[in-house]
Amino acid sequence: MSWMIHRIDDRLIHGQVVIAWGERLRPRRIVVADDASAASGWERELLGSAAPGIQVDVVTIEAAALDHAAEAARPEGAFLLVRDLQAALRLVELGARVPVFTLGGLHYAPGKEKVNEYVYLDDADRRIARDLIARGVRLEAQDVPASRAAALEDLDASVRTA
Amino acid sequence: MSERVPALLIMHADLAAALLRAAEQVYGPITGVTVLSNEGLSRDALETRIQDIVRDWKSGGLVLTDFWGGSCHISGASVARTRGELVIVTGINLPLLLDYLHNRDSFALDELAERLRKKGQDSIRVQRAQPA
Repeated sequence: MSWMIHRIDDRLIHGQVVIAWGERLRPRRIVVADDASAASGWERELLGSAAPGIQVDVVTIEAAALDHAAEAARPEGAFLLVRDLQAALRLVELGARVPVFTLGGLHYAPGKEKVNEYVYLDDADRRIARDLIARGVRLEAQDVPASRAAALEDLDASVRTA
Repeated sequence: MSERVPALLIMHADLAAALLRAAEQVYGPITGVTVLSNEGLSRDALETRIQDIVRDWKSGGLVLTDFWGGSCHISGASVARTRGELVIVTGINLPLLLDYLHNRDSFALDELAERLRKKGQDSIRVQRAQPA
């Protein structure tokens, strides 16, 4: 155990996480690693109440990186959520050993190009994706457990490093 | 009579529009209920849509969403924090929506929300077949 999924999703906690992944994998804990949310008492409370029956910890990326190895050694199972590729890279730079990030929802915004129905990237995102892949982190697109995971390099040739 | 309580219905995929259409078949033509889907929207984008709709509400209203913990609920609750007098009700079903339509002119916001919660819960019943 204990990390079941590391997910990149601009919605952080939402239905696919709580219902689809949560009911399938039944984690004990969800760690939301997001500096803006961690800085807001109200946001911590909102996200904390969003997954009844699961412990939700809303922490800074730095705190999540520090706690990462300890959680990996626990038996019960945990999800980690970040909002974008930048945050994923920062978590890895700060020492979290993440084998795979699942891209679950990076939605359209001006300047972003469609990769699939729920992943849109711009050049800055692609640079970060290449950086993560070069560090040995796999990037896979998968919104819900019932859909097939696809390597980001296969969906978007421009993130290939070699 | 009190002032009509407006409602925004936010759900996954086409559910809000479909639910309103189903309600119209029972209730008749409906005005004053706005529908929104979260499909393809980031949380920020969904919140912006919600802000644009509830901005016109003079004295608050109801945000009705499908399930607790989904982005429809989270985004609605987030907008409610920045703008007072929005009450979120999750787990919306057709009996609850019909009860809203029949009572939106008769109750103040908080009383209406509490009434709808009870109505929605009471509407779920189990009936076992009774072989003759």
